[in-house]
Amino acid sequence: MKLLKVVPTVLKHIKRAPIRSSLTLGGIAVAMFLFVMVESMRIGVKEATEMTANETTLVVYRENRYCPFSSKLPQYYEQRIDDIDGVSSVVPIQIHVSNCGASLDVVTFRGIPRDSIEHAIAKDGTIVGGTLDDWKHRGDGAIVGKGLAARRGIKVGDRFSAAGIDVFVAAIQETDEAQDKNVALVQLPFLQESARKGGTGTIVTQFNVEVDDASYLDSVASRIDETFAHDEHPTATFPEKAFVGRAARDIVQLSEVAGILAWGALAAVFALVANAVILAVRDRVKDHAVFQTLGFTGWLIGWMVMIEGAAIALIGGLLGGAAAYTTVKLGHFTMTMEGVNIELSTKPSAAIIGIAISLGLGIFAAVVPAIRLARTDIASCFRAV
Amino acid sequence: MTLIKCKQITKHYYRGSEQITPLKGLDLEIQRGSFVALMGPSGSGKTTLLNLLAGIDTVSEGELIIDNEQIHNFSKNKLASWRADHIGYIFQLYNLVPVLTAYENVEIPLLLHSINRNERHERVSDALENVGIADRYNHYPRQLSGGQEQRVAIARAIVSNPTILLADEPTGDLDRETGTAIMDLLKSLQEKQGQTIVMVTHDPQTTKWADTVLHLEKGQLIEQEVRS
Ligand SMILES: Nc1ncnc2c1ncn2[C@@H]1O[C@H](COP(=O)(O)OP(=O)(O)OP(=O)(O)O)[C@@H](O)[C@H]1O
Ligand SMILES: [Mg+2]
Repeated sequence: MKLLKVVPTVLKHIKRAPIRSSLTLGGIAVAMFLFVMVESMRIGVKEATEMTANETTLVVYRENRYCPFSSKLPQYYEQRIDDIDGVSSVVPIQIHVSNCGASLDVVTFRGIPRDSIEHAIAKDGTIVGGTLDDWKHRGDGAIVGKGLAARRGIKVGDRFSAAGIDVFVAAIQETDEAQDKNVALVQLPFLQESARKGGTGTIVTQFNVEVDDASYLDSVASRIDETFAHDEHPTATFPEKAFVGRAARDIVQLSEVAGILAWGALAAVFALVANAVILAVRDRVKDHAVFQTLGFTGWLIGWMVMIEGAAIALIGGLLGGAAAYTTVKLGHFTMTMEGVNIELSTKPSAAIIGIAISLGLGIFAAVVPAIRLARTDIASCFRAV
Repeated sequence: MTLIKCKQITKHYYRGSEQITPLKGLDLEIQRGSFVALMGPSGSGKTTLLNLLAGIDTVSEGELIIDNEQIHNFSKNKLASWRADHIGYIFQLYNLVPVLTAYENVEIPLLLHSINRNERHERVSDALENVGIADRYNHYPRQLSGGQEQRVAIARAIVSNPTILLADEPTGDLDRETGTAIMDLLKSLQEKQGQTIVMVTHDPQTTKWADTVLHLEKGQLIEQEVRS
């Protein structure tokens, strides 16, 4: 009760030292911005590469190849894969990217046979602005993922071109799957023609295989690889997320290194709050003695200091967290590498975690000064100043 | 009627291994409603005694009974809430909180009492009115003169209707004219509201407002004159 009544007094102390407070808040906000950006990246990487229990998609790639330009498999493998027990569908896919390395603006084309398009739409995907039939009826039609569309400002009916391939936008796919929302689906023969002028049209980059049940994933993968082990083009088959993790290994490593930055940002928040609280306590030795003379207990004053630390950290955390969240949300950041896409997570969880940690650090940083203050002797405080 | 009773009060301080004893076996009684001036040379223990009466410091030996309560037995926390109810303290250098306005400074002690906002507002306004500074309620201490600051400090000391008003050289930092006005104000609080006041002073002139003058030397009471 008394604690609530002194909150306005604490806030006045923050508000009425505007220069000092804004420097501290600015520092905390910048550190929390960094933390939340890094966390969004880490969460995005985790979502893209970490296996969950109900995964049913396998990716069949050319053995020992990492880039879509060098993975070449004959299209007739499709039938042989389809014959393997536990396989429910196979889609041969040609991947064509404008850039093989890690980059923030890569356009990935996936060539899909006309009749397999239903299997190539994401599980949660919905087609808007056009229909699958619109796509089938135009050889150069593309279904563009909404992330790519937002990034490039693409609308249905537009033409757009990348990496020398010129397509007509037949529809947009709305989905939350990072691998699907950042690609353009085009017809396989069209892509094969365009990508390799005069090509035979029988080579694809990879096959995406759906298995009947998540528990078959590993056994089907090894059976596929055994099937082609002594063939001219041996394969390497991975669960989709593991495949993403392998292709984007540089990004995964980068995100691990960035994790150290996140720890650094937290240390900065702690140091800033601790510094602000210690300066405030030192500055207000006499004020605190006055408060005590007026009947405040040492503990109440200690609590006021804790509230001050918590408030500074919370406000700074909110500023930085909100700025980072807005940046990620509006920026549609997708890191693409070797044809796979990893998005910065746009969920609010990174920002919420950041703000909560900031608040916790603020309280933690204020504990020691608060306890020391609660124990000081009033009469000697007056003598000290 | 006796309000404050000191029985053989001794206070020790320790500075390293050295023991300092500013009060040695002091006996004293102060009547309710009186205006007491406490005089004595520097270092004679005046502030020490005032701090003991205020409950912001505790006796080493002896008994201190105020309003029939044995203050010397109180715990630190109990002493704090006792101060909130019974003590108003006026400092030589005003000691207003610099980031709070005059109004907010006067409001501080009331935050500890369970009264609502409206009543709080009424009491703060009354106190500011009472010390003649109601028009400056919105000013920060740095925007006030010394005399005005001391008025605000007095308002803060009386706002919770304390049993005793303690003042440590309240006019020590003010010019003669302003000091006189402050002394008149304290006197009127005693006369109109029956406020008990204990004031430390160096200036024999200011004792003319008091009805009892105590002389302290080397931690002991050496003279007590009662005026009518
Ligand atoms: N907290 C303390 N620690 C150590 N010594 C103290 C403490 N408080 C007071 N003293 C000592 O006690 C003695 C009396 O001090 P006190 O402040 O009571 O004197 P005073 O009569 O108020 O003097 P002045 O007129 O100068 O204000 C001094 O020698 C002082 O140094
Ligand atoms: Mg003194």
